[in-house]
Amino acid sequence: MTILDSTASGLAAAAEPAAAEAADEHAINTGELASWFQITPLMIILALFFGLPMLVVLAVSFFDFDRSDIIPAFIFDNYTDLFRSEVTLRLYLSSLKFAAIVWAVTLILGFNIAYFLVFHVRSLLWQIGLFLICTVPFLTSNIIRMISWIPFLGRNGIFNQALEGAGIVNQPLEFLLFSDFAVVVAYVHLFTLFMVVPIFNSMARIDKSLLEAARDAGAGRFRVVAEIVLPLSKTGIALGSIFVVTLVMGDSFVVRTMSGGQSASVVSALQNEVAALQYPPAAASAIIMVIIVTLMVAGILRLVDVRKELAG
Amino acid sequence: MANPDGSGEVAVVGVTKRYGETVAVKDLSLTIPHGAYCCLLGPSGCGKTTILRMIAGHEMPSKGDIRIGGTSVLGLPQIKRGTAMMFQSYALFPHRSVLDNVAFALKMRGAGLSERHATARELLAKVQLEKFANRLPPQLSGGQQQRVALARALITNPRVLLLDEPLSALDEYLRLRMRGELRRVQKELGITFIHVTHTQLEAIAVADMVVVMANGHIEQAASARDIFVAPRNAYVTRFVGGQNVLCGVVEGVSDGTAVLTSRQGARLAFPIDGRQPARGAELYGSIRRDRIAIEKLPAGSLPPNELNAIVGEVHTIENQGSYVKVTIDLGDEEEFVAHMVDDEFFRDPLDIGDRVVARWSASDVNLLDDGLNVRPAMPMAAAAS
Repeated sequence: MTILDSTASGLAAAAEPAAAEAADEHAINTGELASWFQITPLMIILALFFGLPMLVVLAVSFFDFDRSDIIPAFIFDNYTDLFRSEVTLRLYLSSLKFAAIVWAVTLILGFNIAYFLVFHVRSLLWQIGLFLICTVPFLTSNIIRMISWIPFLGRNGIFNQALEGAGIVNQPLEFLLFSDFAVVVAYVHLFTLFMVVPIFNSMARIDKSLLEAARDAGAGRFRVVAEIVLPLSKTGIALGSIFVVTLVMGDSFVVRTMSGGQSASVVSALQNEVAALQYPPAAASAIIMVIIVTLMVAGILRLVDVRKELAG
Repeated sequence: MANPDGSGEVAVVGVTKRYGETVAVKDLSLTIPHGAYCCLLGPSGCGKTTILRMIAGHEMPSKGDIRIGGTSVLGLPQIKRGTAMMFQSYALFPHRSVLDNVAFALKMRGAGLSERHATARELLAKVQLEKFANRLPPQLSGGQQQRVALARALITNPRVLLLDEPLSALDEYLRLRMRGELRRVQKELGITFIHVTHTQLEAIAVADMVVVMANGHIEQAASARDIFVAPRNAYVTRFVGGQNVLCGVVEGVSDGTAVLTSRQGARLAFPIDGRQPARGAELYGSIRRDRIAIEKLPAGSLPPNELNAIVGEVHTIENQGSYVKVTIDLGDEEEFVAHMVDDEFFRDPLDIGDRVVARWSASDVNLLDDGLNVRPAMPMAAAAS
């Protein structure tokens, strides 16, 4: 590359001075003020409908209770009971296990679906069409979607009948319904779209010529994905992960329905307490849950700066 | 690379490219000699970028063959072709440092970190960007990004460099600087450059060979000099600019000169280079803008009754510094432009609306190929400059 030597001076002369404008303080102050005004409505709503209830829950978590009443107090019994109980750990492990499995499955599915939509479907019309098909399950309620799995996966359900009819199995598969398997299937069905959408968004912003440039440089299909697409979809993956993880951690209905009551989640246990009018322990459990989920989200945000995606 | 020191002769042989119903490139053949700087010039949608992308291996021809150094490269992956491409928007990887961008191709070849960084640093030093090695591309200016893109394309020692509108993202000043530099790099490397552009002057400024395209086929492939001085047909003349298209009906032929009558009734003389146009046939010619003498027509005087003199009204006047561009309205849709040397113009300046006579010598007229009664298509893009 010695030939470039003589070119260098010419090329350097062509370089413009680096754009380094001194910040105008006045302008920034005005901008900041405007930003505060813009977020005020949301801040008020969050303070009223999220902040305040959380404070109430926090306060109640220190209350005492008996069979019929909650008694204002400041005791730590609800927390110590929670931490002493073996059930707590088992519930959290179970919820975390579901979160991990569902996260992995929806990530793989979501990444591939988004990749297909963005890079293989060339026409915008088809892209929109297929995208809408992804949202079809959302046209009906969660409950109906859950219940419709039952005749499909049940002991004498369509799937088992098909397997038997095809001679693949002699006896109906028992693990299909009312099992951890069924819970994961339902979660994946419910939450994959939450992974697809943010990943689709970040992928759609990738300049297609980047992929060609990588191929030009000798990258094969998998290298292109690993070196270019994956790093540039990171923010979408992070956002999708936040959705999926928080949704799974906060769920009780799917676990209860699809496991046939055999599995429980942190929230379903909490609901039982509420049903038994044991509000203070339920509040303590909720506070711990909020802290743990917040830590998980904070962990994801530490790994990936999602502001870039949201700002775009 | 299969053939790193191999010839960079690029041959496009009978290539057709269809996208569904639309034909982007129609049975096109073109040979670009090794070490040439070739510009593909045409309005947007003429198929020039499609050709480039087929040579690069980002598109497959529907029919025909593409050969580099005499061997067909159809179906070969990009690296096996010995080509490198510089993208219109540079396509730098926004999440990788400048250094890693330049070193990317070496990484794909399995070179170790220190080795590829050393080579990339060397290249960056040569485009004077070594102190930006650890920056991310979005933190660089357009001109700097372009140099990173050039360094990245050259790191594999390609025998053919493909440039897709490399200067279109730069401002006017940088564009003029960079096109000269691209030409120098090409001369010094001695490899084939294929440069796609829709800017006529850019093509003529940098290229050895200019290929003027329209609607998926070649209108003319010739040296930059010939494209400018001797355009083959009215389309090329209008698109390249620099010449005016003349048209008339043949009245008679004598001594290798045809005498014609234009639609406005002016009498024109074309040299016919041994061709035999029939009487009554429509013939096209072109005359360079800087070979036209302009004279004011005093009010009330009759139009001159001589060959190659047209009367019209001054439509626009643009001072270009060393010359003045005068557009004359001849009463038809054909643009007629004369470039007057500044001294001559300012001796007795014209004004918009003045009636003038434009005169030229018959020997300066370049005969065009356009067939009888075939009205050639007007170029779509901003043709004249």
